[in-house]
Amino acid sequence: MTTSDSAISVRNLWKVFGPTPNAIVGTPDANLSRPELLEKTGCVAAVNNVSFDVADGEVFVVMGLSGSGKSTLVRCLTRLIEPTSGEVFIEGEDILAASKSRLRELRRTKFSMVFQHFGLLPHRSIIDNIAYSLEVNGVKKDKRHARANEVIELVGLSGYANHYPEQLSGGMQQRVGLARALAVDPEVMFLDEPFSALDPLIRRDMQNEIVRLHDDLNKTMVFITHDLAEAMRIGDRIAIMRDGAIVQVGTPTELVLNPADDYVSDFTNDIPKSHVLRVADIAVPISGGHASSSQPIPHDAIVRSVMHRVMSDPDPISIAKNGEIIGCIGRDELLTVFAEDINEELNA
Amino acid sequence: MKAYIDTHVPEFLRRKWVLIVGLLVVWFVLGRIFKGVHTLDIGNSEDTPTTEVLGQFAANIRAARAENPIFVYIFNPFRQGIESFVEVIRAVISDPAPGALIPVIGWVGILAFIGFIVFATSNWRTSLLSMVLIFGCGVLGMWTYSMDTLALTIGAVVLSLVIALPIGIWAGLNDRVMKTVRPVLDLAQILPTLVYLAPLALVFLIGIAASTIATMIYSIPIGIRITAHAIRSLQNGPIEAAESMGSTRWQKLTKVQLPMAKRTIILGVNQTTLAALSFVVIAALIGAPGLGEPVLQALSIRNIGDGVTAGLAVVFIAVMLDRSTTAAVVHSNQIPLTGKPLLVRRLSLGAAAIATIVAIMISRQQLWAAVFPESLDFRDPIGNWFDAITEWFTTTFYFLTTSFNEVFTLNILNPIEYLLADAPWYLTIIMISVIAAIIGGRTVAILSAILLLLIVWIGLWNDTMITLTQVLIATTIVMLIGVVLGVAAGRNAKFERILKPFLDAGQTLPAFVYLVPVLALFGPTRFAAIVCGVFYAAPVVVRVVADGVRGVPKEMVEAAIASGSSTTQVVTKVQLPASKKSLLLGANQGLIFVLAVVVIGGLVGAGGLGYLVLQGASKPELQGKGLAAGLAIVLLGIVMDRIAHASARRS
Ligand SMILES: Nc1ncnc2c1ncn2[C@@H]1O[C@H](COP(=O)(O)OP(=O)(O)OP(=O)(O)O)[C@@H](O)[C@H]1O
Ligand SMILES: [Mg+2]
Repeated sequence: MTTSDSAISVRNLWKVFGPTPNAIVGTPDANLSRPELLEKTGCVAAVNNVSFDVADGEVFVVMGLSGSGKSTLVRCLTRLIEPTSGEVFIEGEDILAASKSRLRELRRTKFSMVFQHFGLLPHRSIIDNIAYSLEVNGVKKDKRHARANEVIELVGLSGYANHYPEQLSGGMQQRVGLARALAVDPEVMFLDEPFSALDPLIRRDMQNEIVRLHDDLNKTMVFITHDLAEAMRIGDRIAIMRDGAIVQVGTPTELVLNPADDYVSDFTNDIPKSHVLRVADIAVPISGGHASSSQPIPHDAIVRSVMHRVMSDPDPISIAKNGEIIGCIGRDELLTVFAEDINEELNA
Repeated sequence: MKAYIDTHVPEFLRRKWVLIVGLLVVWFVLGRIFKGVHTLDIGNSEDTPTTEVLGQFAANIRAARAENPIFVYIFNPFRQGIESFVEVIRAVISDPAPGALIPVIGWVGILAFIGFIVFATSNWRTSLLSMVLIFGCGVLGMWTYSMDTLALTIGAVVLSLVIALPIGIWAGLNDRVMKTVRPVLDLAQILPTLVYLAPLALVFLIGIAASTIATMIYSIPIGIRITAHAIRSLQNGPIEAAESMGSTRWQKLTKVQLPMAKRTIILGVNQTTLAALSFVVIAALIGAPGLGEPVLQALSIRNIGDGVTAGLAVVFIAVMLDRSTTAAVVHSNQIPLTGKPLLVRRLSLGAAAIATIVAIMISRQQLWAAVFPESLDFRDPIGNWFDAITEWFTTTFYFLTTSFNEVFTLNILNPIEYLLADAPWYLTIIMISVIAAIIGGRTVAILSAILLLLIVWIGLWNDTMITLTQVLIATTIVMLIGVVLGVAAGRNAKFERILKPFLDAGQTLPAFVYLVPVLALFGPTRFAAIVCGVFYAAPVVVRVVADGVRGVPKEMVEAAIASGSSTTQVVTKVQLPASKKSLLLGANQGLIFVLAVVVIGGLVGAGGLGYLVLQGASKPELQGKGLAAGLAIVLLGIVMDRIAHASARRS
């Protein structure tokens, strides 16, 4: 089943909490809705038959309402929570079949995780928190401190190495959590709402840092967030979860253009379409010689960014992809998108 | 249909307390009619079939000590091991080797050493306080007794922790282990201290070993409980994070869980230590050397002055142990020093260490530093002074002490005792079981009936009822005090601050030290035992009630005030009902604490089961009866605990 080029491959993953976790999957009960299942069996399917693939170097974002199972899902991927059933492959390796010691080795060197509630060790200084995974892996003290100092720098906490978590603000603690995850130079990172406690400015810095890690170091990431703007900014693809199941997976544009249902569109409505859509998404075929003679627009330009050019040209402007003209975009197409945005805004 | 029922069963009859009051009236009337019938009263030295069997059993054990393989290969070596461990500590601080004048270290050295240990684990202020308190024990003329008590306490605490910490950690990590040890811990909590003593003395002989083992049995459960709780109540976040970074189980335990739990575990050490101290004092009953000896002597010859002086030394040691371990908790919770403060701390620690070594060497060579000087010993003047105060107080406040005692005894104590003890035993059992059924349900009622029948079978029914009377009265008083002070403290932070030192003191002091002043004021009476029980149990109950009242959601109280309730209405209609759970928990704790002390009241003339236990400990021919009385105390404790528990669960 696994595709060799995907970094993470998840198939039919279940996690059932409750008195009889093993008596749900594969029975008719598995099809019940969450309240019905709870009523009947006292169990909650926190992760409900989830399958997806994450490509090497992709940033895969998971969104969903509180309680929809995001944290549980991401914990199941590294077996911090044992899944009830299903398959998880990371870089081709069957994680659920891994022995305890193999799993430890993977956690020490290949994966790392950033936690929603930080999970810093209160009795250790910042530097020892960050060096912890190197320490348990037997790295000598001066070496691991040198590495820890590098990442402390990276997240902008220089000068705080010898402080203790309780002496830091929530946002700073969250950055320690991020630094700790970066310290081992992992191949795959799991981030559970890593920026929720940050102020907007630092948040943007950190988002840029993630984008940079992604672009430069080609890290694969599973990133949980509540914030759609954040998801759009850093995510290659977004999965929307509800009651433990994935409702839809797609690029930001796909979700905005073709929401699978009201639940998904509720998420995407907040974002003006003109901020997400790319010109190629709304391009129309060139009919006759109507297209403007001016320079073509690249196909992946965000609609909003070309507003000025399109509006000031009476003719539609052509759109190029890899040097080939694939269509054009004119005032009408643009205005349709803006009109929808304004409509949304008025409704809200 | 519903309306029909409502009209035929009057509202008031469906209330539990109306039923109970009705039952009490019936009970009282029947008790009067059948007064003195089938009370199962037996003479003081009269045996019953069961006590005879137990007496024979005790005699067999005594005879078997020298030959039986269980004794020769298990109990006796175990006893000797523990005894020599404690004797080593005694040899260092309290008990001179044969032919020597002083123990290994003289008093100045001990003082310096204690100061150093406390300084190293907390701060210089607590260190100074500790030294002053220990010095105070010398001024009271109790130096050697105090050092004996300290030695036994330290020995028992070390041995207890060696057992309690690993088990506690294990039980904290593993649910199955917790489930296995929990019933044992629960039982240990309700067993009155007095009942361990005789059986242990029987197996391990009177003396240091039996005292230490008894103390360990008392304090180990406390250590286990708090350690397990320390591990269990850790936040999961950091532990999960450590797991996500690939820690082995051992790394997780040593690098994350234990350091995070350290604070609570040290608190466990504090509680274990105080429990051990209070028991070491009581263990004088089975030959433990130390401050319990003069207290016991004072009780038996009513030498109030000396008893109070010794009690004061116990208080000093208790405060010293409490303050120093509490300060260690605070210290362990501080962020480690760095830079200059760290250097200063290291230098002063070094200086203190050198001073301590010097003091120890001097104390081994100079007489003035070796033996606590007589010129500083004020035992007799202080004793006389206490005697004078007692004399003055009892004559001046005659109405408070003797008259109050008499009025109380005639009008409250005696009628209730008649009700329980002077009625036919089956009437009492039926009534108690029915009341248990009303407040706790059928299961508890059946259990109570069975356990009470067992007491009848043992043959100590009448004495059990005498003890029960005192326990019930003392618990009622404790609850009244607990509710009044607890509500006040729960509502008013300032009042709570005023009360706190008293509550702290009440919970720190060994029960034994209350006996002497109470005996001085009220003489050897049942009333004295009740007063002791009240003093001992009230602080706990006040605390539990105050916590409960404080825990009532603010919005609830505000809503009541907003809808125009008076203060009384807020208390009676909102705060008390909402904290019912705490009240019942308080009552349960109160019962257990009171029972523990009331039986010790046998020492101050309270009669009942406690007296039989004590008698059994001193007279071999009454040993069977003493053991039987211990058994009856356990059964009675279980009955009361279960009823209280069940009623708490039902609410
Ligand atoms: N240990 C557990 N035992 C029982 N139920 C659990 C447990 N952990 C999670 N759940 C349940 O599983 C569901 C999913 O929880 P989860 O923490 O994964 O949600 P989430 O999407 O991360 O929410 P949030 O956005 O608030 O962090 C919830 O209904 C929760 O009650
Ligand atoms: Mg979550």
